[in-house]
Amino acid sequence: MKQILSTKYLPFISIFSLIALIPLVISKDQYAMVLVTTVLLYAVLASAWNIIGGMAGQLDLGAGAYIGLGAFTTGTLLTRWNITPWIGMFIGGFVSVSFAILIGLPLFRFKIKELWYALTSSALVEVLRIVFLMWDEVGGPTEKYLPGGGDNALYSLRFSTYIPYFYIILIFLVIVIYLNHRIRNSKLGFSLLALGEDEDAAEVLGVDARGNKLKALMIYSFIVGTVGGLYACLYGFLHPSFFSTEISTEVVILGIVGGMGITYGPFLAAIFLVSFREYLRAALGGELAGLYLAVYAVVLIVVALFQPRGIAPLFRRLFEKVIRSLGGREHESSAKASS
Amino acid sequence: MNHPPKLQVNNLTVNFGNLMAVNNVSLEVYPGEIAGLIGPNGAGKTTTFNAITGLIIPSSGKVFFNGHDITGMLPHKICRLGMSRTFQVIKAFAHMTVEETVRVGAYNRCNEKNVYKKVDQIIKLCDLADLRDKLCSDLGLAILRRVELARALATEPEMLLLDETGAGLNQTELLSFMDLLRKINMEYSITLLVVEHVMQMVMGVCSRIVVLDSGEVIATGNPESISTNPKVIEAYLGKRVPQCY
Repeated sequence: MKQILSTKYLPFISIFSLIALIPLVISKDQYAMVLVTTVLLYAVLASAWNIIGGMAGQLDLGAGAYIGLGAFTTGTLLTRWNITPWIGMFIGGFVSVSFAILIGLPLFRFKIKELWYALTSSALVEVLRIVFLMWDEVGGPTEKYLPGGGDNALYSLRFSTYIPYFYIILIFLVIVIYLNHRIRNSKLGFSLLALGEDEDAAEVLGVDARGNKLKALMIYSFIVGTVGGLYACLYGFLHPSFFSTEISTEVVILGIVGGMGITYGPFLAAIFLVSFREYLRAALGGELAGLYLAVYAVVLIVVALFQPRGIAPLFRRLFEKVIRSLGGREHESSAKASS
Repeated sequence: MNHPPKLQVNNLTVNFGNLMAVNNVSLEVYPGEIAGLIGPNGAGKTTTFNAITGLIIPSSGKVFFNGHDITGMLPHKICRLGMSRTFQVIKAFAHMTVEETVRVGAYNRCNEKNVYKKVDQIIKLCDLADLRDKLCSDLGLAILRRVELARALATEPEMLLLDETGAGLNQTELLSFMDLLRKINMEYSITLLVVEHVMQMVMGVCSRIVVLDSGEVIATGNPESISTNPKVIEAYLGKRVPQCY
């Protein structure tokens, strides 16, 4: 235990302990709570995307589909059969995985990759949105509100403040980032990275392209589907607009800006980009609608130009400089190893 | 040559639309030898390699490895049976370090526990110790050829197919590479099939040579007989024009 605390997990543990303290400071400010919860939510989604997109190099635009599937599964189980979302969201995760397998098998079998994979996964979101728009029993054009709240808050996962959601999502984030870290340093991670770099070269080195990509897609869709269940509870209703191509795009942007395949990259990107975007929305939204998106786009272009490998390497250099100036040599190697 | 062949290619044909890239090619590679596959540009050498290692599915013909029919098998399964390759156009893992690149190959036969030992062993064998933490995108061609060989060796192959590993190397690099090839052939008894343009390398390391031209085998034999074979000279230099003076 002492060993763990003193070396490579120290930055990890201290950062998340600090984050866990945030609600104590800002719990009165409802808007700030919404903001930090949104940041964490996107951090979880982008970190999950890092497995299929960052490591395996598959430009997956299907996050919205798995969020929607998870949300509708969880919500419908709660409203119809009164099954608690604590179980429902994991069932939602499994439903997402089934869909992922359904599209992943043929896509990977016929070596559909890069742009074609992106288009196909993006189409999945749109197709499901329309299906749920027309499927009145479960979806339909009007919002379906989830029951619960009050005395039942814990069972139905419907809290009146954001603080419990914040902590639940924080736990998700810790698990997903740890999972990223473990995969990154395992056979699966190395296989995925190699596939992302060059599929032919990876295959002749004994990497099973179909199997590994499918594994990555399954892990990713399970996490996103589970988060989707939470998403439904957070908003308190179900609507086919949960199948959102905007969320999918946002997740991919965070994953790329953070640094492809870097464990904590998407998390950093979520902290900076999502809060920056929301700040712009608040600051500029009153002046001219849509101006904040234009400024946001300029920032993305600047990152693409000057940090094409993402912002994480920048932070690593900064981190190492700080550590060195503090005289803590031991962390340098661990910082490298944990990336 | 009483042993059964390690690799046997029977009447291999590959069509790309109307273009017949490889036409009815048959060749054998015997255990423990270094065989060469040469021919002018566009003769179908790389396509033959791709068809053998499963990257493309041949239009007809059969490929046997250790007696197993591996025609049209997925590349990673062929690798697991003990055959790997390098590429003519370098396919480096640009954003991975040398050590990580080798580790990808090492996982073919190793688990999480003994993978480090394998990686260390291969890096030492290929003389890459000083560069193990360098990103592949920062390395030059000669080193990358070595890295490609290293990651293929890490899969613990019985047979390696090397696609123009000598191309673009200077004299010193070439000589050290040839030494390395002889070493892995002798000490690790890995059978090699090399596609090569650099004649110094072909004549220096190969014990038997197959010559391809326009997708067909035109000659097979030892280096001396190949270098004097009129059909081979014709394929490389063209027909001798009757002199009229």
